[in-house]
Amino acid sequence: MTRYIAYIMCPALLCLYLTGCDFEDEYNVSPRRNFESLWKIIDENYCFFEYKNVNWDNIYSRYSPEIEEQMSDYDLFRIMSDMLDELQDGHVNLLSSNVGISSYDGWLNGYPSNFNTEVLRNTYWSRSQNYNDIVKHNRIVDNQIGYIYYGSFKESILEKDLDNIFSTFSYCKGIIIDVRDNGGGSITNSDRLASRFLNEKTLCGYIRHKTGKGHDDFSDPYPIYLTPSHGYLWLKPVIVITNRKCYSATNNFVSKMKVLPSVTILGGRTGGGSGFPFTSELPNGWSIRFSTSPILDVDKQHTEFGIEPDIEVDLTDEDIKENKDTLIEEAVRILLN
Amino acid sequence: MGKIIAFILLNLCMVCQSAGQENDEEIPRSMNEGTLLGFGTSNIKDTYLSPFNYNGWGARILNERMKTISAGKGRYSRQQIINVDITSTRNPAENVNDFGTFIDYSLSYHYRIPFGSSIKLLAGLSTHLMGGFIYNTRNGNNPLSAKVDIDLGISMIILYGLKVKDHPLTLRYQTELPFGGLFFSPPYGISYYEMFNEGNTSDVIAFNSFHNKFAVKNYLTVDIPIRHFTLRLGYLNSLYYSETNDINTHMISHSFMIGWVKEFIVLGGKRSNNKSRVNSSYY
Repeated sequence: MTRYIAYIMCPALLCLYLTGCDFEDEYNVSPRRNFESLWKIIDENYCFFEYKNVNWDNIYSRYSPEIEEQMSDYDLFRIMSDMLDELQDGHVNLLSSNVGISSYDGWLNGYPSNFNTEVLRNTYWSRSQNYNDIVKHNRIVDNQIGYIYYGSFKESILEKDLDNIFSTFSYCKGIIIDVRDNGGGSITNSDRLASRFLNEKTLCGYIRHKTGKGHDDFSDPYPIYLTPSHGYLWLKPVIVITNRKCYSATNNFVSKMKVLPSVTILGGRTGGGSGFPFTSELPNGWSIRFSTSPILDVDKQHTEFGIEPDIEVDLTDEDIKENKDTLIEEAVRILLN
Repeated sequence: MGKIIAFILLNLCMVCQSAGQENDEEIPRSMNEGTLLGFGTSNIKDTYLSPFNYNGWGARILNERMKTISAGKGRYSRQQIINVDITSTRNPAENVNDFGTFIDYSLSYHYRIPFGSSIKLLAGLSTHLMGGFIYNTRNGNNPLSAKVDIDLGISMIILYGLKVKDHPLTLRYQTELPFGGLFFSPPYGISYYEMFNEGNTSDVIAFNSFHNKFAVKNYLTVDIPIRHFTLRLGYLNSLYYSETNDINTHMISHSFMIGWVKEFIVLGGKRSNNKSRVNSSYY
């Protein structure tokens, strides 16, 4: 009987032995090891290589010789950040607790800010109600226009509070949704607002995901629908005011709003950032975030580099001097006509 | 004459049968129930969350019930195990945590083969249902990896009763090895946003077997009667490996278990009305 027991237990103990040996991925501060790990994570997961025509192998060849085993964390971080900047993606961030955060902001270059908080505070926000630090709402132009400033989709507005806000606009001729300098946040929050401006389920875009480690391994586009809220719906004219700093979830919000028939996008081109990001890590504990799933617009086109407004308007110095916001004034003019 | 012999044989058969039934009634089948707490180490790797091993501790509570069943004249027994497992592990750099919570249930039927009076081999099939998740404290948009498995497997137990200085002990070694089933298996780069907000749940359930999953549990216990109680000490080793859609997962735990065991007779339903067999404080 002892022999039988031994026969039975041997495979189990062998499994125990084999599985107990899987500890190859240990803490490692080697610059070479971390550089290789970063390059591989991006190589296997990043989703815009083809769209941006980025040759990741060539980039490896350019940056790899700069890696030295004796280099400081700061120097390693700088080289890695420079390599990641080649992707031209604000969703690609390297985070180190002892060095800092890398963030590509080249997408802002060459675009006007189209946003002056002093003018807004003096003229448009002075009588507004603050829902919280970054959401303000108000009726302007003799209560004819409803105005909401939503500064970050990291903050949510409760459905019942949205009902209250929209009910105060019930006699207005139109609404302005100002999302300038809104760098994104949660799509759940942006969808909650967008779902107030339609009365039937509407196709608003598509999403794809990586199906393997190859640069071209993608799923078929999967449709994304926006469904109407069960709360207060606003089907009269809406103008969404944008600038280049509308990024990520805000870019997604603009992409969806642009589909809706009562909505006009006014201002500047948005910043983009249409890749849904994932996070991973390096052997030294640094964190790396990168785009993995491209979200396409309703025409199955990328919006990674931004969305053109329907009406392009820039903030003028003359208006700033008069404490006027050119974009809001133009939106008011359109809504009242 | 033939009719008389036939009548006697028939009656004998009926008597024997009824005697057997009475015998079954006289020896009620008891339930062996153990409840144990476990503490130990945990090693988790899930490449959906991180390419690295996370190491830490795990705690579990386990309840197991075993009983012979009426079919097969006591040659079969049924075992049910419910196990709740929580883990806290850290990455190699020790600046990020993974928290895991799993609940699993298994139902096994064993055929019992005695070897002498002290050794029993129990071999059979089991169904196993497991659900849980691993939560990474740093990942923003991919913080969670959910696990849902339903399997069929083989289960085997060896029970060995022995005495140490007139003190009776019962040793048990048990192993469970799933060989096929279904599990939640999201595609390589899909986000939970796409699956659960946008509803793209196609291809998230996959067939599993040894080609993409290997899981085994090894369970070693000793029962030590102490006065009116029976102490159960044990070691539970759980191994879980899966590799689908270029996502690798492993969960390895070693737990030292301690708990108590009781052997009792279930007298629910109509059986509770048989007052001659039990001195009930209620019925």
